[in-house]
Amino acid sequence: MSKEKKQKKPKIKLGKLEKREARMGYLFVAPWIIGVLLFLLIPLGQSFYYMWFNIRITPLATVYNYVGTQNFTQIWLENPEFPQQLVTYIWQTIVQVPVIVVFALLIAIMLNGKIKCRGFFRLIFFLPVIIVSGPVMNMLVEEGAATIPSMNVQSIVNAFDQFLSHSLAESVGEIFSNMIMTLWYSGVQILIFLSALQKLDPALYEAAKIDGGSNWECFWKITLPTIKPMILLNAVYTVIFLSSNEQNSLINMIESAMFSGTKEKGYGYASAMAWMYAIVITLIVLLFFLLLGSKKDAYDRQIKKVKRAKKKELRMEKRIERRGKRNVKKLEKARKKRKYKTYDGSGDY
Amino acid sequence: MKKKLLVGVALMTSLMLALTGCGGKKGGGPSGNVDENGVTTDEITLTFWHYEDETTINMLAEKFMDKYPNIKVETRVIEDMSSDLSAAAAAGNFPDVFEGTDSDTALANQYWLDISEYFDNDPENDNLMATIKEYGIGCFDTDARYAMPMVYWPSGIFIDRNVINTLNLQMPRTDWTWAEMIQLIKDATVDTGSGMKYFGLGFYNRLDSLYGIAACSPEERALKGEFGFDGTDFDLSYWAVGEQEFSDLKLGGYVAPSQETQEMEDWTGNWDAWFGETGHVAVFSEGFWTYQNLWGLEGYQERFGLDIVPYVTPNVVDEKEHNVISTMYMGGVSTSCKYPYEAYLLLKWMGWGIEGWKERIAIYSDTSITNAAGTPLKNAQMPMPITLDQEVWEGYKALFPQDADHKPFWDDYFASVTRPVPYGWYNIAGYWNFCDQYFNKIGIHDLVDQGKAKAADYVEEATEQANYYHAEAMISYFGPGGYNVLSEEELAKYQAVVDSFAQ
Repeated sequence: MSKEKKQKKPKIKLGKLEKREARMGYLFVAPWIIGVLLFLLIPLGQSFYYMWFNIRITPLATVYNYVGTQNFTQIWLENPEFPQQLVTYIWQTIVQVPVIVVFALLIAIMLNGKIKCRGFFRLIFFLPVIIVSGPVMNMLVEEGAATIPSMNVQSIVNAFDQFLSHSLAESVGEIFSNMIMTLWYSGVQILIFLSALQKLDPALYEAAKIDGGSNWECFWKITLPTIKPMILLNAVYTVIFLSSNEQNSLINMIESAMFSGTKEKGYGYASAMAWMYAIVITLIVLLFFLLLGSKKDAYDRQIKKVKRAKKKELRMEKRIERRGKRNVKKLEKARKKRKYKTYDGSGDY
Repeated sequence: MKKKLLVGVALMTSLMLALTGCGGKKGGGPSGNVDENGVTTDEITLTFWHYEDETTINMLAEKFMDKYPNIKVETRVIEDMSSDLSAAAAAGNFPDVFEGTDSDTALANQYWLDISEYFDNDPENDNLMATIKEYGIGCFDTDARYAMPMVYWPSGIFIDRNVINTLNLQMPRTDWTWAEMIQLIKDATVDTGSGMKYFGLGFYNRLDSLYGIAACSPEERALKGEFGFDGTDFDLSYWAVGEQEFSDLKLGGYVAPSQETQEMEDWTGNWDAWFGETGHVAVFSEGFWTYQNLWGLEGYQERFGLDIVPYVTPNVVDEKEHNVISTMYMGGVSTSCKYPYEAYLLLKWMGWGIEGWKERIAIYSDTSITNAAGTPLKNAQMPMPITLDQEVWEGYKALFPQDADHKPFWDDYFASVTRPVPYGWYNIAGYWNFCDQYFNKIGIHDLVDQGKAKAADYVEEATEQANYYHAEAMISYFGPGGYNVLSEEELAKYQAVVDSFAQ
């Protein structure tokens, strides 16, 4: 049995067509691999290395002074702005992500319905993604285009202040003061939801309707469970987008520390900041994963349990078999050496 | 045998490459081919990065290239000193010559080369404004010169004569004292109850900044910089008097509201209004450029009913010649420059050299030359010369009002600004760190302005902090880890300050 297992599977030589297909596959994936290598893994490794140093870039050379954890202590002890901004960011992200995702879902459902000029409306909602990015967004925000002038944000904050902590109330107020911007951030999420909605099997709805299900019930029992993975995907996308766009004050803070000429800051200091920020982002993503991650249903769990039990049983059987064989060998050996004795001491069975 | 031969050839080749300096940076190394003035005769390119008006600098660069046809000058406007220069250093395309607005950045990263040799042997530098050498502006309390003031704008007090006449007040004497200025501000604050209120003061520069230099006689303490800096350490007790006086003026209602505030809207009915256009402010503590860029524009004063004349920033002590706080962008030759002497010549031409200034005046005098915004160049950030050359000054003064009514004010003003002292971040090592990490962080200005604290309460702590940041910066910039030009005694002195602060 064991010998059979050890036998290697015979290698199947790829034909010309397969080889060509494999080459083409690698060719298509190559830009991504190069991109990840050049713009993700190498900078990631570099920044991990940098964060332990104070780095000065003089016109003649780059000077690295090992400072250990000093960059971290300096950020936490001497830069009160960073922890403050970090807390604000965490609150804002936790509050903003559900708002954006729910809004995107509602718009996607509406756009998926049979309405006139559907294509035009889809374009309208996706347009900000193309136009409002980078400097254009900054200019619009500076001009106050991200806010609704008639909305009294302060009174909203005051209202929330009565039953929420001040920082949370401020975060909620921030959402209202940047309401238009929040809506602009929903373009990609709407697109993802739309594609998921379009893949839903109409037969499910038909069957539900025949059984007397209302639209409301269909939404909760069919639509939502089916697109649940997309909700997680959109939540993660939104977290990453909110954490890395140009409006994010922490990103600006890291960038300004990176190019700061003062002796304390620079690449090392900025790298330490960036790593701490990255850990916080990961934790937020993890939080949303735990909240929205799809749990397997009871039937799946039961099958898995049975499979596990069978495997265990099989293992036990094998173990008993091995032990039996071993004992037989031992007995044979002892008998040959005449060391084996029966209970009465005769040595005969 | 063949292998050995190949190794030998490879070694010879690498040796030759090393000796000839192949594969080096742009332009290769200085060849040693120089003319009778010691200027290279090779075809070279120098890069000059600056903060000034682009058209003016490009025209000056052309004139420089006319004089030195083998030197090509490439210019660029700096958007943000820290990020632009850091990125340039990282990319290996650092400019040969540049102007900076924050000396800490330049010193912390050793951007500037020691140009003492060129500066000290240049006879033209004997005729500069006295404080440049006397206070070692650009030397940062060392024996070496790293930078020179490239752009000089003295602070200025401007008075609207129309307001003074309307309120039936006397114009002060041009060599007035600090107390006389404060009194005028108080006298000129009039609220009749009907119509717009008259304010005594409108400010861009806080009075405490001006007072830091004007606080006492040189015999009492030679104030060479902000916060009572005397070249060695700080004493913020001088600043505290000015800070409190200014805050009291604000709290007392003598100071005009700032732009884009509710107070401004209440006063003028216009949120965006600027007090300098209201015709209801008597004294202005402004940057020198405000006159050139706004009040000095043709028809501007008539349009708003103003009659602006300059006054010297007064001193507490009644003496004719005294220091004046100034904006001074410092410029230097970079440590990576291959042609430092030629770069020094370019630096001088663009900054304080007589020839360069003569060219500037010719450019400024021609009002038909305008920049990209359509503004005549003399109204586009024109600096003031720091050379005392008579011809230059005659040409410069001619760019300002020449009518008998205004000329005496301008003549007196120009005569009074010959002892500039730069704001701290231009000339004091560690000053920016002190402001960034202590002074601005705890918001002293706001606390005192709002009457929540007294400036005197911060004197002791702030002085200690300022001395610590300065000492720490001196060790870092000029100690063994930096330029390494401090003596053992100097290092020990600064280290003692750092140690005592840590305790």
